[in-house]
Amino acid sequence: MNWWRYVSAMELRKILAYRSDFWITFIGQTLIQVLIARALWQSIFEANGATEMNGFTLPMMTLYFLIVPIGSKMLMGENVGFISREIYEGTFNRYLIYPLSFFQYKTLTYLTYSAFYGVQLILIYSLYNLIQSGISGEMFLNLVTGVGVFMIAAFAYCMMAMVIELISLWADNIWSLMVMARFGASFLGGGFIPINFFPEWMQSILKFLPFQYFISFPVRTVMGLVTREEMYQGIFFLVLWAGLLMLMANLIWMKGQKKYNGVGI
Amino acid sequence: MIKVQALRKTFTSPVKEPGLMGSLKGLVKRETKSKDALKSVNLEIQQGEIIGLIGANGAGKTTLVKILAGIVHPTSGEATVLGFKPWERHNEYRKQMSLIMGQKAQVWWDLPALDSFILLKEIYQIEDSLYKKNLEFLADTLQIHDQLKVQVRRLSLGERMKVELMAALLHNPRVIFLDEPTIGLDISAQKAVREFMKNYQQEFRPITILTSHYMEDIKELCPRIVIIKEGEFVYDGALSKIQRLMGDEKVLSVTTPDKNFKVSVPRTDLSVKTAEIFKSNEVLDLNIHDPSIEDIIESIMKNGMKTT
Repeated sequence: MNWWRYVSAMELRKILAYRSDFWITFIGQTLIQVLIARALWQSIFEANGATEMNGFTLPMMTLYFLIVPIGSKMLMGENVGFISREIYEGTFNRYLIYPLSFFQYKTLTYLTYSAFYGVQLILIYSLYNLIQSGISGEMFLNLVTGVGVFMIAAFAYCMMAMVIELISLWADNIWSLMVMARFGASFLGGGFIPINFFPEWMQSILKFLPFQYFISFPVRTVMGLVTREEMYQGIFFLVLWAGLLMLMANLIWMKGQKKYNGVGI
Repeated sequence: MIKVQALRKTFTSPVKEPGLMGSLKGLVKRETKSKDALKSVNLEIQQGEIIGLIGANGAGKTTLVKILAGIVHPTSGEATVLGFKPWERHNEYRKQMSLIMGQKAQVWWDLPALDSFILLKEIYQIEDSLYKKNLEFLADTLQIHDQLKVQVRRLSLGERMKVELMAALLHNPRVIFLDEPTIGLDISAQKAVREFMKNYQQEFRPITILTSHYMEDIKELCPRIVIIKEGEFVYDGALSKIQRLMGDEKVLSVTTPDKNFKVSVPRTDLSVKTAEIFKSNEVLDLNIHDPSIEDIIESIMKNGMKTT
């Protein structure tokens, strides 16, 4: 299993291979997303003449949307198409030829991306707090716990992404399905607006789906807004969903690999 | 040893009528078409042997290679390579096998080749000393030392193929599948790859299956060839014997002001046919020679032949 270390190291080298892309992704993208969210929520608060909305003040909302873009990158790992693109282009062959488990390899590369952005979250969140109010022990503990929860969520999300991506063993092009799934997971997970802003009936349904545990739950953990009991419950649901999705992905792979014909561009 | 018995593969692909209407119809109802890529083929290859798999585009060469490499499942039939069923993908089998596809990269494009090699060393669990020895040997023989620290996507086509060869041979495979390794390469790069494979085969004696459209590759490397036509083997035997199979024929290469053409004729009809050609054409040049291997293979691929 020594190759795990080398796969992770190689994925990191791939992230660092293109300098300009690295800095744009690392700083530029996050900064733009935070500024847009801040401007938007500031106008909403001002238009309503409110200092608090659904338990969120404007500084809390800013913090929420500082964590969401980086957390989403942790969660969604590599870009859309991390398996289907390789099936479409024919480079997928290498995972069948090399003496390694395709599942382990892909999960590992996925989580390497997540871990990389986890470091980014720790750095940027700490820097923000340092400027705003200073770093406390409790804040740092919440941050590290939240990053840990994000990693579990990333694993569960990776399994869900695999279920969808492996459909390309039957259908050549499933780009729109993957984009839709990504958009849906972001929205239903509280990536666009916090879940507290959703109607009651929708919040009740979402409790039985994995999405809020992907984004909203880890973000609130970083912010220190979850109780110990909610934390255990959230982790339990994440692990449960991860297991179910892993089982589904395995079944699809067992069936789909017989359909694979190794053609590509 | 490779043993293939009654191996068959049928592909089903969607078909679509051309034009906008065809696309709209395809949204509702999609027709499919089945094609037998391999029709119950049999083959045996011994350790140390190298065979050339020859056939037109779509004849089934790559399908056979993909099945034997474990990428594709067959529709029916049996195949064992070194005692393993390839499509079961035992790690023990995969550690002893390599596939090089001329048209598809297997090393990671965004990284220098050396980074890929380090990962492959771990994946194949190659010992340090063996890895260093093989890396030196392959880099020296392929003369690509200077390029190993350059991103693979920045290399020329020939250099990329050398890097692919290195990646595929680092673990001393006992079975090598070479699917058109010289495709798209310039003449000197083709020659370098051929020379390398020839020496490698002599030194390490793996089982090698080579598919190529370039007859030079086949003539240089393969004492035995298998000709495949529409999923069936039409010739399996020594390359040297193939000329004897058409030994009673001569080829007339004719040049006229409008065109060049070749005619195969039985030796006994040579004078009659030559006279006919002179009579019905304004002949600028005419050569009588034995059919080349290319002529014979082309003829077999067109007209077929019983397996010997």
